[in-house]
Amino acid sequence: MRLIAATTVMICLSACSPPRETVTIEFEARLGDQPIDCETTVDGIAMTDLRFYVFSPVLFRDDGSEQVLEYVELAENDRWQNRDLVLIDLENGAGACRNGTVDTNAIIIGTVPAGDYEGLSLRVEVPFEVNHADPLAASPPLDDSTMHWHWRSGYKFLRAGIETEDDGFWIHVGSAGCEGTVGDISGCRYSNRMVVFLRDYRLGEKVVFDLSELTHMADLEDSTPTDCSSGPAEESCGPAFMRLGVDFDTGEALGNGSPWRVAAE
Amino acid sequence: MRHLIIAAAAVVIGLGVWWLLPEPGYDWPIEAPIPIPDVPADNPMTDVKVELGRRLFYDKRLSINGTTSCASCHIQALAFTDGRPLSIGATGEFHPRSSMSLVNVAYASRLTWANNLLDKLEDQALTPLLGDNPIEMGMAGRDAEIVELLRTDPVYSRDLPRAFPNDADPYSILNLVRSTSAFVRSIVSFETRYDDFLKGDVDALTASEQRGMDLFFSERLECFHCHGGFNFTDSTTHANATVERVGYHNTGLYNIDGLGAYPTENTGLFDMTGQRRDMGRFRAPSLRNIAVTAPYMHDGSIATLDEVIAHYARAGRAVEEGPNAGDGRLNPYKSEFVRGFELSDEEHADLLAFLNALTDQNALSNPRWSDPFAAATPVGEQ
Repeated sequence: MRLIAATTVMICLSACSPPRETVTIEFEARLGDQPIDCETTVDGIAMTDLRFYVFSPVLFRDDGSEQVLEYVELAENDRWQNRDLVLIDLENGAGACRNGTVDTNAIIIGTVPAGDYEGLSLRVEVPFEVNHADPLAASPPLDDSTMHWHWRSGYKFLRAGIETEDDGFWIHVGSAGCEGTVGDISGCRYSNRMVVFLRDYRLGEKVVFDLSELTHMADLEDSTPTDCSSGPAEESCGPAFMRLGVDFDTGEALGNGSPWRVAAE
Repeated sequence: MRHLIIAAAAVVIGLGVWWLLPEPGYDWPIEAPIPIPDVPADNPMTDVKVELGRRLFYDKRLSINGTTSCASCHIQALAFTDGRPLSIGATGEFHPRSSMSLVNVAYASRLTWANNLLDKLEDQALTPLLGDNPIEMGMAGRDAEIVELLRTDPVYSRDLPRAFPNDADPYSILNLVRSTSAFVRSIVSFETRYDDFLKGDVDALTASEQRGMDLFFSERLECFHCHGGFNFTDSTTHANATVERVGYHNTGLYNIDGLGAYPTENTGLFDMTGQRRDMGRFRAPSLRNIAVTAPYMHDGSIATLDEVIAHYARAGRAVEEGPNAGDGRLNPYKSEFVRGFELSDEEHADLLAFLNALTDQNALSNPRWSDPFAAATPVGEQ
């Protein structure tokens, strides 16, 4: 009798839920096709920042007749990942990354049912429910004081920047136009959350954030450094948000954030 | 023997009475009719916390390069402003706005020039400490360094457990901002000649100052609509307040495109809400100590009180040339109370005299709010 029960459990374990495999999704900063970091200058352009929160990564599997999406179950750790969010930090505080931090994290680690995947989607954001909670009571990866936006109440979903010898552009993206008071935010007029969909992504490939996209967000030859901190008044945010797939006038995601792509090896 | 018993009984009764007394409340240096400030329930005022916060407020070690404390932009002799048009952070970056006075900030229903989200000093304190746009004290990412300082400094390591006796681990950024906020909240002072006058000392204000006061509170000048009440600002609250009063006003300083635009880096409440009607709206600061807080306005763009009066008399400023050129008088979002007035030279002088009578020497010099590091003996060691 006991044997039958045990066998049933084993059959169910294999048949009812397929074996899961660990997947690692790695990110890399590039300028065009060239890898770039805080201490490398490519074509006269230096990276000054690149950090973002990844929420809800999903892998796509073609099961013959239909496409199946599998949420990557994130493996919690004490610094970069909780069950919902991963902080990707591709700067190490050296060189041009003056507002940076030493520690880096280029990967998402999680599990999905074993299978053959093609396609990756993810969101670059912090969900509303946790975005406006007390940052001093937050646990990793939301306890990073360089990612919190104290005066806007909430996190910077993305911070990125580049500079040339006498010019530069940086962008901080997070929700704006919030209502209520800190600790009691009822909503935000501009969500400013980004979506990424990489149709051809296959496990083992790197996801690139191409900082050359930032060169299209601002004039890097007028010797006037510009920036965008998601304020509705900031004209410099318009072209940047378009590249990031966010409608600057409404804060809604319109499409894919173009800096993210699959690395062409 | 009998005396001994009586003495012992007295001690027991005394202890009992002491035991039954409520927790010693904080002794605010104010008297009726000035109300008690509203204090967050999770950060009650205590003397030990205020004194601890005073040291933190003046501690330059809480900056990226050891050059800058809260007090660097909030100097007591200037009513806790810094005398600059725009403040400068630890690494030399300019802040887009001018430092605001901290005197009586405990009564502010909202903080800073135009952030409608910030109503508690505990939340506000994180921006100068940790913000990097611009860098003020520049401590973002250095949380561990801060906690280490709190843990190892002899005064902090002694006083944090005393100020937060219920905390298992009191060495935290949360308790740093709580202490600093308690100190800043303690800077309340209503000891001007105007206050003496209100209390019945009719000679406390000169005849000219009294005429200036009448002008200030007149419908002809309209000053008091935004700068009214016991703290001379309409964004005022207190412990017994029944309605929340928050006011933001466009005073016609700019009108760049003829459609009401303010300079991009200082659009006021619009930057927070994205609603066009909020363009150029800033919180009215208290006018207490206004004579020592030059230069004026959110961007320090008016040098003297004389010129401020002229700006309001004209009903808005005409910027003649440069990138900000435009006639602020015609700004479509301008407050209905900025409608202009004409003053004789004598009236102008009277109004100025009244504003000067709002200077409070106690706020500017009381040692309880002064730099403890400047004293020969460390605070708490006296």
